[in-house]
Amino acid sequence: MYKKILVGIIAGFINGFFASGGGMILVPAFIYIFGEDQKKARATSVFCILWMVIASGFFYYNQNFIDWKVGLLCGIGGVIRWNNRSKAFKKIIR
Amino acid sequence: MINILIGVISGIVSGSGMGGGTILILCLSLFVGLEQHVAQATNLVFFIPTSIAAIFINIKQKIIDWKLAIPISICGIIGAIIGANISTKMDVSLLKRFFGIFLGFIAIFQIYEMVREYRISKKTHNNFNLNKLRRK
Repeated sequence: MYKKILVGIIAGFINGFFASGGGMILVPAFIYIFGEDQKKARATSVFCILWMVIASGFFYYNQNFIDWKVGLLCGIGGVIRWNNRSKAFKKIIR
Repeated sequence: MINILIGVISGIVSGSGMGGGTILILCLSLFVGLEQHVAQATNLVFFIPTSIAAIFINIKQKIIDWKLAIPISICGIIGAIIGANISTKMDVSLLKRFFGIFLGFIAIFQIYEMVREYRISKKTHNNFNLNKLRRK
């Protein structure tokens, strides 16, 4: 249990500090410390990071650091990319 | 337009499951010329729609390990609050320097990982060949 707490706090701190790189900590930690397989480790890490991002995003928002226009435009690019990926997933499953 | 392009590029990089945000921050601060703090905050906005799309797919495929996900998200929130508080109050040039060091560490780690995977694949390949020989 203490391992989970330690990994969570370290990944959260890095993710809050640099606003990125939580996955860099979490994915290897899940694979080497908790013995998950690659696919599960990545899926679980994305879920964990979402909450860290929301928590740290609140503080960045308070300090008026968010550039909404650039963020949303980049978000559109990212979603396009993810939709393509899910289509590719379905093809593989079929 | 360049913003959407950067989003697609970092989406492709994060297809490997990690590192998209780091690339995004680098691209935004180098090519768009945003300040480090703003680039980081923008990455957060970028991450939310992309990750929600990813999480929906993952929940449908049932590949999220809830026993790990829930305690780590709770501890992660605590860590994120501490980290974000320190980072937002920090001097920009200092934060940039830390980010550079962080990128360096990631680079070293990725190279190490690549070498390790290459060795493992070589080993299993050799074993495979040996088994073939034994069968003969």
